[in-house]
Amino acid sequence: MTRRIRHLLSGLAGLLGIGLLVSVVYGAEVYVQAKSAQLRNGKTSLSQTVATVQFGELLQVVRQEGDWLEVRTAAGAQGWIFANKTTTTKPSRSASSLAKLGQAMRQAEAAPMTASTGARGLDKVSEEYANRSGIPQQYQDAVDRMAVYHISDQEVEEFLREGGLGEYAN
Amino acid sequence: MQQVSEEVARSFGGESAAGFVRGGSAMAGGLLPIGYEEEQSIGAALALQVLARYNGVYDRPDLTRYVNLVGQAVALTSDRPNIAYHFAVLNHDSINAFATAAGYVFITKGLLGQIQNEAELAAVLGHEISHISEKHILEVIQRSKLLGAGAEITFAALNSNPELFRGLIDQAAKKLLDEGLDQNKELAADRLGAIFAARVGYDPMAYVTLLQRLRALKGDDAAFFKTHPNFSSRIEAVQQGLATLTQPVPGALLAERFTQHIQGQL
Repeated sequence: MTRRIRHLLSGLAGLLGIGLLVSVVYGAEVYVQAKSAQLRNGKTSLSQTVATVQFGELLQVVRQEGDWLEVRTAAGAQGWIFANKTTTTKPSRSASSLAKLGQAMRQAEAAPMTASTGARGLDKVSEEYANRSGIPQQYQDAVDRMAVYHISDQEVEEFLREGGLGEYAN
Repeated sequence: MQQVSEEVARSFGGESAAGFVRGGSAMAGGLLPIGYEEEQSIGAALALQVLARYNGVYDRPDLTRYVNLVGQAVALTSDRPNIAYHFAVLNHDSINAFATAAGYVFITKGLLGQIQNEAELAAVLGHEISHISEKHILEVIQRSKLLGAGAEITFAALNSNPELFRGLIDQAAKKLLDEGLDQNKELAADRLGAIFAARVGYDPMAYVTLLQRLRALKGDDAAFFKTHPNFSSRIEAVQQGLATLTQPVPGALLAERFTQHIQGQL
């Protein structure tokens, strides 16, 4: 086995997170490995949501049962989270920073889109690039359409539920 | 290397995501992080090149929605879940997929035609999402010889020097579309693609099955692999990664749902 492969394999455990690899014990710390996730009052996807946690948020593990972890947040909320939405690897600083940026972006996206708010994919730098490079207008329009195409997190959640994926598997 | 850059940024009080990290590369001895605002300019400009080279978007609303749903599902539990992602099908019969930066992901009509279930699609999109989460194309730009020592990749700098930006994008597009990224980055993306799909609940072995199918179709002919490692290397990489799991990962294929959404669309 080459050194490179050994290195990559050793990194895999962290990449997979606990949901796919190992069990955790009482008192362990895990981080949210999803844009957001629900803490529920039971270990099923049908259980009531007691709190919503965000990417990178630190959680204290109370216990593990099957694919679910009972956790406590820093704010004191306690509930069950699907283990695949957690990781033992702390998100990088840039990820945390991006989490803040992501919140700002989502707030911006929630605001009504107008021409003045730049509801498009091309900004003045990339638009200038398009013009200097002779990129046809149809492709510029295509990038704009891609950027504003929106599917909500709720729609994705429903899609997962319909497919019986992840926490909706049983 | 990215981690090293972030350490450097931290020591200088920088905030990589906000685009304020500005130190000399010669001083830091490493790569400067590119802020998200600048990444959006880069991602959109490279997306233009992808669209221009691959005959634009294959515009079928139902298909676009389905690919976006699968892509968003994978992105939401990827290693970089908190940026916006944009997925599109390219109107091209070749077998390929691309990611630029800032969430732009493309898959060709030709590759979609080879996929047999949702788990395979999720892994392909996961592979591309990992290129974005790992900032592979940004590293290509950061290493460009067009950037002198201490050069700043700020939005203001790119805006005031459009010819520099054009040079950087053209170089990156050549790397992305003609030469290919470094093979180790592609193999890492294969491993991550399977992992990201598995996190959602898809069967990660589906990716191996797809790569085997493509190998049977195309062989390991080097001429086909200007932009990616050959299929045998990629299959081996994914299998080695999955072999480290201590327990089987149950997962769904969702072949029927995939067929329902794809049938009559290609």
